[in-house]
Amino acid sequence: MDKHISSQFDADLTNVSSRVLELGGLVESQTRHAVYALAQFSAEVADQVIASEKQVNTMEVEIDAELASIIARRQPTARDLRLLMAISKITGNLERAGDEAERIARMVKQILDQGSPRNLPSSELRIASDLASGLLRKSLDAFARLDVNTALVILKEDDLIDAEFNGFVRKLVTYMMEDPRTISASLDLLFVAKAIERIGDHAKNIAEFVIYVVKGADVRHTALSDIEQAVK
Amino acid sequence: MPATQNLPLKNAIEIRNLNFFYGTFKGLKNVNLDIAENKVTAFIGPSGCGKSTLLRTLNRMYSLYPGQRAEGEINFYGQNILDAKQDLNLLRARVGMVFQKPTPFPMSIYDNIAFGIRLYENLSRSDMDERVEWALTKAAIWTEVKDKLGQSGLSLSGGQQQRLCIARTVAVKPSVILLDEPTSALDPISTAKVEELVSELKKDHTVAIVTHNMQQAARVSDFTAYMYLGELMEFGQTEQIFMKPARQETEDYITGRFG
Repeated sequence: MDKHISSQFDADLTNVSSRVLELGGLVESQTRHAVYALAQFSAEVADQVIASEKQVNTMEVEIDAELASIIARRQPTARDLRLLMAISKITGNLERAGDEAERIARMVKQILDQGSPRNLPSSELRIASDLASGLLRKSLDAFARLDVNTALVILKEDDLIDAEFNGFVRKLVTYMMEDPRTISASLDLLFVAKAIERIGDHAKNIAEFVIYVVKGADVRHTALSDIEQAVK
Repeated sequence: MPATQNLPLKNAIEIRNLNFFYGTFKGLKNVNLDIAENKVTAFIGPSGCGKSTLLRTLNRMYSLYPGQRAEGEINFYGQNILDAKQDLNLLRARVGMVFQKPTPFPMSIYDNIAFGIRLYENLSRSDMDERVEWALTKAAIWTEVKDKLGQSGLSLSGGQQQRLCIARTVAVKPSVILLDEPTSALDPISTAKVEELVSELKKDHTVAIVTHNMQQAARVSDFTAYMYLGELMEFGQTEQIFMKPARQETEDYITGRFG
């Protein structure tokens, strides 16, 4: 990014951006660990995910405080203002993605407590969860490089997760019909699947804010074809 | 093409192909701009960009100085004020101006207001009293000075002096008010009062303001013109200029990347 006359302003913006990436890295690893805990039914890893939630919350609050300070002191305009607005929104989305990871971890523990988790199709969530954590990483890359093209790819890939989610729900229904004893655990898995799907949504939101920073176009709640038109 | 042409607004002033010369130096280069009626239009840009020059063409203030001349058209409600036949006193009564430094006359507060009115109108004592009160009220300073109208205008604080000067301009009921950095010599509270006043003024007047303070332009104006090296770089609705300027040059200036 080209330089401001005030180098301190540049330093402030760089600093708060890297804090967001740091938070993003934390949430991404939280997501990956939650997925691992699910695949391996590891209570230990699930506990780690739950423990790191506190750190995510703290970072969210700190980043918001930094944003407020920059806005108060610098009265940012145009792209700077859009960047700070986007960071505020991205931070919120990351924190909520972290909440979803935590939810997955808690579900893993609940399923373990109920016993006999292995006859459930949890491994089928693998594709969706890999997609979701991959999407989250990509959205952070897009933000770090302010890369509109990557952001567009993310918007398209989120549809894949939604398709996986729908397929998984259908599959769960057949399991529950076959063996009603799996209903309780299946419902837990349904919540897990929903959490994974939501992480994908948050990644998509982040991608939308990358487009907002670079192009100045607010593409939330907009059809993909219109978005492609807007960023040309 | 000027941006306001797309909007259903009436233009008070339409500037066409305006060039301005200080001797041989070209201070304004082919400026085209519409100033919408009952709106606030702000001119921003670095020192020497021509924003004050542009403002001073709008009531031909430059005609006071030999060697300065303008070419092109400035149509004020359809009449080209650059026309040699233009009555300058009449023009300046219809297009009033307030300067950077408060310039009260060395006379009473009352006479500061009445002086200008007497040049154009012959009012009875009671009508004049009424008009002075009206102008001072319009400039949001009446309650502060109503008990000392006989005191010198110079006895007021800087912020009050500036509002007195605005009252003096308003008193002759101009259609357009030009403000040339009206708050650059004022403290933040006085600045806020003048800015509040600008929003009031646009109900009855068209306002053009030159300011070095970009946040001020963002706060008070409906339209913003960014100028650089005598050229109008970008003109648009203030919100658009400050959220998403079309040109990189404008963005660099308003975000403080200019250098």
